Amino acid sequence: MAVCTVYTTPSLHSPCSVSNPTKTSFGFNQRQQVIFYTSGRGSRRRGGKKISEALYCSAEAKTVVIGLAADSGCGKSTFMRRLTSVFGGAAEPPKGGNPDSNTLISDTTTVICLDDYHSLDRTGRKEKGVTALDPRANNFDLMYEQVKALKEGVAVDKPIYNHVTGLLDPPELIQPPKILVIEGLHPMFDPRVRDLLDFSIYLDISNEVKFAWKIQRDMAERGHSLESIKASIEARKPDFDAYIDPQKQYADAVIEVLPTQLIPDDNEGKVLRVRLIMKEGSKYFSPVYLFDEGSTISWIPCGRKLTCSYPGIKFFYGPDTYFSHEVSVLEMDGQFDRLDELIYVESHLSNISTKFYGEVTQQLLKHADFPGSNNGTGLFQTIVGLKIRDLYEQIVAEKAAAPTEATKV
Amino acid sequence: MASSSSLSLSSPHFPSSSGLRSRSQRDPAEAVVSIQARKWWPGRSGSAAAVAAAVRKRYKGTAMREKKLAEMIEKKVEEAKAACEGEERRGSDGCKVAWDEVEEVSQAMARLRRRLAESDRDPLDAFCQENPETDECRVYDE
Repeated sequence: MAVCTVYTTPSLHSPCSVSNPTKTSFGFNQRQQVIFYTSGRGSRRRGGKKISEALYCSAEAKTVVIGLAADSGCGKSTFMRRLTSVFGGAAEPPKGGNPDSNTLISDTTTVICLDDYHSLDRTGRKEKGVTALDPRANNFDLMYEQVKALKEGVAVDKPIYNHVTGLLDPPELIQPPKILVIEGLHPMFDPRVRDLLDFSIYLDISNEVKFAWKIQRDMAERGHSLESIKASIEARKPDFDAYIDPQKQYADAVIEVLPTQLIPDDNEGKVLRVRLIMKEGSKYFSPVYLFDEGSTISWIPCGRKLTCSYPGIKFFYGPDTYFSHEVSVLEMDGQFDRLDELIYVESHLSNISTKFYGEVTQQLLKHADFPGSNNGTGLFQTIVGLKIRDLYEQIVAEKAAAPTEATKV
Repeated sequence: MASSSSLSLSSPHFPSSSGLRSRSQRDPAEAVVSIQARKWWPGRSGSAAAVAAAVRKRYKGTAMREKKLAEMIEKKVEEAKAACEGEERRGSDGCKVAWDEVEEVSQAMARLRRRLAESDRDPLDAFCQENPETDECRVYDE
């Protein structure tokens, strides 16, 4: 029976201070701890203001769950790296365990690859004639059970799907983190799992861009050719369209990547047009906008104040409907060439949930070597990361402000 | 070797020591260190040389994975082409599963390549620190 009276300044970096020696483990479910901090400790980070912090009051140590649907395999995808960087720290595979683990862990975030919930290994799928995209190759019951458990603060023994051997390896223990990201092909496929998600993102890559990216990825490998890359995409397309693509209607944010419209007949896929489609009416998510929320804006920042090199940059913002729900769409076509273009654009965007002016630019520069750092993919992935941080802090603040609920064990 | 400043990056006069890669050509001091460190199999710690080598050594397990994935890509592309040959097989389950396998191993290879490219540490680093005696953790001499 724990009583928690709190004022909180929720922050991803609040130390979880506990009265027993296991203070390094964020995720432990402290069912009987009452931890109450006053001023002093917290004031360091807030410039001397006296703020009281109380943390992890009993069973309400809630894990925020994010779903990311992408067809690019798991582990260290660019989006994931940007996301974990916004929260602080770099996500690394768990130390010492199975070296082929797909899991990534940072101070605040654990990223789980949904391939680990394959019910059929490579041989099994071949026998049954199903691809990895097919729901029949995946154990949604287990996925639901384990995501639910982690969300409630309970550690789980999660299977490991080994992409090198194609086998299911013995499980690894996953502690409940502050933020759990489930990444893979089917995060929003099962309605029960969907309901556990606090926020979901779908990466929608158009066919032309997918082809260009896979060429970049695979052409140098022995055995691959333009034909094999094309054949692979086409053979997987029916299952992709049937099982993966429909998930985008459930996403809170869709990042759509298309070929540029600025260069006629461009087929290199280097300059991209990226659309951030944001669901309206989500409790903790306020869509990014340009100039005037709800209006329609067409904006070319290049001109007298800002000179851009070819092909320039073009923005669009406006309301729309997407699968019969209200959305706002922010679109960027073109690429950034210089730092001042980035900061100029950032200064004109609203609702980007930055903690200081220039944070988006700083994040993009920090990872300038990541693909997409000079175009809409990097920009919108970074912004979505900041929105998720904001969502996390809102949820935590709300939880902490409800002390009566915290007495339930 | 002259331990001049590492600014002589593109100097054509740089001695290329026994097949060391261009990274060591940038810094002559490092090149010396890694030659000596090769004698320190299987990577016992205890000297600056070994420590420096520990930063850049490649484990057998990583080399094995790279080789295996490369072979699998080649093999599975061939299998996929065969599985889709002819009217009845084109569009069949066998055909799409075969190309899905190609995609799976291509992704795995891309992920390995990215990990190798972006860090000085070998992907097996953490595992091999805990399990230095396994075959996978033998230092691989290329």
